[in-house]
Amino acid sequence: MIFNSLPFFIFLPVCLLIFYALPHRFRWAFMLVASYIFYGYWKVEYLILIAFSTVVDYLVGQYLYMSDNRKKRLFALSISLTTNLGLLFFFKYFNWFLDDIASPLGFISQEAYGYWNQNFQFLLPVGISFYTFQTMGYTIDVFQKKVEPEKNIFKFALFVSYFPQLVAGPIERFKHLKTQLFTKHSFTYEDLQHGGRLILYGLFIKMCIADNIANSVDLVFNDIASYNSAVLLQTTILFGLQIFSDFHGYSLIAIGTARLFGVHLMTNFNSPYTSLSIREFWSRWHISLSTWFRDYLFKPLGGSRVHQLRLTANILIVFIVSGIWHGANFTFVAWGLIHGLAYVIEKYTWKRLKTNNQIINIFRWLWTMSIVFVAWIFFRANSMDDAIHFVAKMISGGTGNLEASFPPIALSFVGLLIISDIVLKDQDIQSWFNKQSFIIRWSAYSFMLLAILGFAGTVNHPFIYFQF
Amino acid sequence: MGIIYRISLFTLILITIGALYPKSAAYKDFLWFESDQFFQVDKVRNCELIYTSASSNFSQNKESDQRKLSQFIDAFYPDLAMEAFNTPASHLGYHYKLLRLIPEKSKVQTVICAINIRSFGADWRNSELETTLNKQAVMYSQRPAILNKLLLSLNAYDNKEISERVLDRTREWNEERLPYKNPQNSVNNWCRVEKWGDWQNPKRQLADQFIKQYAFVIDEINPRIQDLDAVVILAKKRGWNLVLSILPENIEIADSLVGNDLTNLIFANSEWIKSRYSSQTHITVLNNVNLLSSDHFTDKDFPTEHYDVEGRKIIAAYIAFALRKNHGHLFSNPAWASNHNFQ
Repeated sequence: MIFNSLPFFIFLPVCLLIFYALPHRFRWAFMLVASYIFYGYWKVEYLILIAFSTVVDYLVGQYLYMSDNRKKRLFALSISLTTNLGLLFFFKYFNWFLDDIASPLGFISQEAYGYWNQNFQFLLPVGISFYTFQTMGYTIDVFQKKVEPEKNIFKFALFVSYFPQLVAGPIERFKHLKTQLFTKHSFTYEDLQHGGRLILYGLFIKMCIADNIANSVDLVFNDIASYNSAVLLQTTILFGLQIFSDFHGYSLIAIGTARLFGVHLMTNFNSPYTSLSIREFWSRWHISLSTWFRDYLFKPLGGSRVHQLRLTANILIVFIVSGIWHGANFTFVAWGLIHGLAYVIEKYTWKRLKTNNQIINIFRWLWTMSIVFVAWIFFRANSMDDAIHFVAKMISGGTGNLEASFPPIALSFVGLLIISDIVLKDQDIQSWFNKQSFIIRWSAYSFMLLAILGFAGTVNHPFIYFQF
Repeated sequence: MGIIYRISLFTLILITIGALYPKSAAYKDFLWFESDQFFQVDKVRNCELIYTSASSNFSQNKESDQRKLSQFIDAFYPDLAMEAFNTPASHLGYHYKLLRLIPEKSKVQTVICAINIRSFGADWRNSELETTLNKQAVMYSQRPAILNKLLLSLNAYDNKEISERVLDRTREWNEERLPYKNPQNSVNNWCRVEKWGDWQNPKRQLADQFIKQYAFVIDEINPRIQDLDAVVILAKKRGWNLVLSILPENIEIADSLVGNDLTNLIFANSEWIKSRYSSQTHITVLNNVNLLSSDHFTDKDFPTEHYDVEGRKIIAAYIAFALRKNHGHLFSNPAWASNHNFQ
């Protein structure tokens, strides 16, 4: 079930009514059932995967808590990591491995390759990258004795499958979510108001901006040769805004939905396009993933308290892994590498840069945005060849025989998005709304409602991050 | 009290938007862009004859005479107005949704439905174009415009991913449901028979396509049959005469590439349709599946129902003759038809 769908619009109010009608002790069990319905609605078979991942991590968590033998604990941890990464590899990367690595390099015969392609086709289970990372985070936390494992397997299952953030995050930590999921909570108008606002704003930027831009962006990326460099530049910028609207919109809906049930999920975006460095960008973009990589990959690799060369390698590893996490294609590797290299360059050359000089800050912003947006080309392109062709043509002023048409309504919404992002920088959206008068608040609600009902995009574009 | 007041305000805003939206230019622009057949309904309701079809209605190559098949039919009845619903890749399910929009009080007397046998098969039913058709059809639903628009934005229609459709199609092709022994018991098994050499051979590729397009058995649970049943009920309810025109398929090529096991399936399927519906008084079934020689089919590298101008004329004439049952007093032979002996 996806958030911008009719089934979810029915599912959510029904869940809310039942949730608050039930006595507190039954609510978490109800949420578990609801979460499995939410996920199983998409494809029932893949409930087996999430249940399997849950059982393995639950058992490993229990064992880690009971055992003091380091070797055995490490072995148990490796079972959890192998299981989760194995699932991820099989469903997400195996075909890529066959297509782009094993088959071209001759690791597998053409007959076997052909047989596999003809007879075994799997759909990527939605959200597998998110819930496997969330459960791995739990197991590592238990291993490091940062948290005690959950004793009740069903309560643990709710942590893994909690529907508002199941399919595309924010990737939550057990410590943060556990207390909220099982704490007694009464319905409040404030939760309804705050949750509703976030959902409305999230739907607005997803449906009116991302979905309206998507078609034009797709047309250009699927036929690069036919467009001139100016169009390619516009498309690059628009794709950056599309993916931001898409994922930020999704995150807002997820956070708003959880808020309706009294749960506060972590913020996932904080005006990333106002960043003055790549480092800052990653503290504002997909925050739950970047902090996950920081805590569970970068720090175990040695963090920043290592030799310069090792540190450089660690940074690059984190960014490349982050790239691969996003998708099974060398374009994602390139995307991660671009960010990693830019991060390293900044780290070693910007130490003495003054941060209170506006001219320098303009330069820093231009540098950051250039890196981020050029990297988006690799993120979005259908292949490495396409990405290189796109960048080369955009820079060299290439010509084209087709005109691109970007819907004016979408462009005006984009303008609003940029303004609101600057206004909301480092600010809680709720507190901004609360400061406004009744007229302004309700004008904003009416505007978003009108935009969603009358001007939302109609091209079928699932949330981009669902594929990850 | 505060909550009730706010919910009331929210509802009022919704109602206002819902009332104003259908009157806006944005709505009309949107319809033109997304579901243009909506405007065709206004034309169709003032006609006596309606023709529904997929791309078979059109000229598909650079002919001097580009007239549609429906225009050739119309030529036999100059005193009857005729309009067509013709959307490429569409089918009976899509046409049903459009026909449903015609008001109960209209001039419509007869509806002619062109039936592509292929449209009952797994390939067409799971075509990637199906999503586009389903999407267009949302705006043809009889609900408030703003609700249709919202449902469209929420993707509240069958909008499976292409990969899912490919999986569904592959699953059907793997099912061993054909009335023959292995290897002709399933589409995929049948396609592995190397009658025309390896996969590089264009004949092998074409034979493969013919098997995939025609090797199936129509039964009552076929979704297109359910659509056709709905059209039949609708026609009866509105008092329309219904002409079901089973379109010619390229039997000659099917026979030469694959053999009579395949052509027998095509004949059996078309006969099954004919026998199911021809007993009803308001329905005329024309089984023209073997009407045209392969010269009249314009696509040579894929089985389609795209005909040259002569082919379109021949089919049109057969339909026009069938229409004499209800409109005989208005029949007249156009000049181009007098040189042929269609009967």
